[in-house]
Amino acid sequence: MSATGHVCDPGTYWTVPDPARLATAIRLRAVRMVAPLGFGYLGQALSSAEQVAALFTVLRPGRDRLVCSPGHYVIAIFAAAAELGILDEEAVRGYGQDGSPVEAIGTERSPVADYVCGSLGQGLSAAAGFALSDRLRKHDRRTFAMVSDGELEEGQVWEAAMLAAHHRLSRLTVLLDANNSQVDGPVDTITTIEPIAAKWAAFGWDAVDLDGHDVDAVIRALTGAGDGDKPSVLINRTSTTHGLHCLPPDANGHFIKLPPELAARAEAELLARLAGRDD
Amino acid sequence: MTELKEPPYRTVLKPYGQALVELAGRREAVVCLTGDLTRQCEIDLFAGAFPERFIHVGMAEANMMGIAGALARDGFIPFVHTFGVFATRRPLDQIINAIAFPGLKVRIMGFMPGVSSPGGPSHQAIDDVALMRALPGMTVLDVADAVEARQVPAAIVDVDGPVYVRLKRGEIPVMFGDDHRLRLDRADVLARGDDGDDVALLASGMMLAPALAAATLLRSHGVSVSVVNVPVIKPLDAATVLDVARAARVVVTAENHTIVGGLGSAVAEALAEAGLGRPLRRIGLPDTFAEGALTAAYLFGKYGLSTQAIADAAWTALGRRGGAPAAGIVPAEADEYSPV
Repeated sequence: MSATGHVCDPGTYWTVPDPARLATAIRLRAVRMVAPLGFGYLGQALSSAEQVAALFTVLRPGRDRLVCSPGHYVIAIFAAAAELGILDEEAVRGYGQDGSPVEAIGTERSPVADYVCGSLGQGLSAAAGFALSDRLRKHDRRTFAMVSDGELEEGQVWEAAMLAAHHRLSRLTVLLDANNSQVDGPVDTITTIEPIAAKWAAFGWDAVDLDGHDVDAVIRALTGAGDGDKPSVLINRTSTTHGLHCLPPDANGHFIKLPPELAARAEAELLARLAGRDD
Repeated sequence: MTELKEPPYRTVLKPYGQALVELAGRREAVVCLTGDLTRQCEIDLFAGAFPERFIHVGMAEANMMGIAGALARDGFIPFVHTFGVFATRRPLDQIINAIAFPGLKVRIMGFMPGVSSPGGPSHQAIDDVALMRALPGMTVLDVADAVEARQVPAAIVDVDGPVYVRLKRGEIPVMFGDDHRLRLDRADVLARGDDGDDVALLASGMMLAPALAAATLLRSHGVSVSVVNVPVIKPLDAATVLDVARAARVVVTAENHTIVGGLGSAVAEALAEAGLGRPLRRIGLPDTFAEGALTAAYLFGKYGLSTQAIADAAWTALGRRGGAPAAGIVPAEADEYSPV
């Protein structure tokens, strides 16, 4: 895949032999993508690494669709795609740089995911639209949508949730990254969005709470979703610093600063884990 | 005339945020709303000083505008804060129905204008002036520097109707002397040729700095230039616009915004309505979305929001032969600002 292809394009193919290892590789690649910039959306990659690894494990290449609602999360998708050989290394090296088509905040034009929103709270509507389209066309396709907990503050998410349940869009599955992080701080200090699962259930969804860093649990939940008569949401409880011990405890989850010395330590820590020297 | 500094300009932090706190100390009706961009909009200062009048609405712009409208109906003066792109696009219908139509005193503060955000099309407010200018009764500002930003809260607090203000985020250059006054009813003629001008250059917001640099460059090559700072795009000071345009052969506008619907359009309307025919060149995003990048400077250069682009536009509009003189870049340290 060049810097323009998408996971649902016919002929796209990959396999994931070891999802847990892929999650660590996503973290390592995200560190290497952010390091030249000195700061960036590393926290989003750290909180979603297992979800993205699970997505690429369950998603059927060349068939199922991937929607990324919070465009800041494309870093994790690019990292996975590069690791799986479906995105050029050169494209990844351009991440966030002047003149590069691989922008740090994802857009309509970003590669890999089939649809990326940079303005928050809009992706679930697109995912519902794709699921309706597939039903009308009688396509055997699932649509997976990555959504973040901060986005639940935007009303449009709930408009889409209500519609998807009304239309029983069972082939639509949401991975909600509940990392309790938004620009101004922890989500729960700004707006009470709990009980998240009960809200989605009340809206007519199959909702399950799980440890978003347990990649096997996410894979099991993703695999089991999509067979009932309701859309499904996986509420993945995560942290924006998970899997990178060297980060300072007060790292700003939305926009992590990664000076060269810290980047080097982060890279060494993740390389050691990939080599099996630490877990 | 107003005192002007020379580039590189010294920069300061949070001039607006400090001024809002000072205003709120005098005016109990002032309340502050944020849509999850508190530090970025300089209102961490307000939150610390007046926590009881600070309302964190979360990432919910439509809801924020509805709440602000109701607060204004009850006599409060809400200052609403987020990035300009989220302040105008997402809640447009709510601004229209809950604020503009009833003519309420809500002050909408949109930070990070135009391509000063390297965050890509979803984060770049390239059409906010056009959207707000289209609303009946809306006053629209795009201020140039810290001296003006500091005066914004007091200048707009009592405007009888809604106000939209664009403000640069982060390090704010100091371009004017301390005695400069931000006036809502008058554009500032900053420079004027001795006996008639070749070019009338009108700029707003972040484009004032490159406009001044382009004027200096053009003057050194025998082109006389008048420069007008237009911080208030609506209602436009048409009298001043017509005055400088009448004395010039060509008119050039410069804005950190699409050329459709903003300062350039407002000037074009004023010229046409007065029956004043002058060749007009509009510097701004040429009817295109921009993109994400690492630096804003790269985007200003790429999309022609630069000293060179302004000089080129004036040069060719005057029919001068050969290329326009080359603009030099004034180097700036970390705490300074120079236009591209």
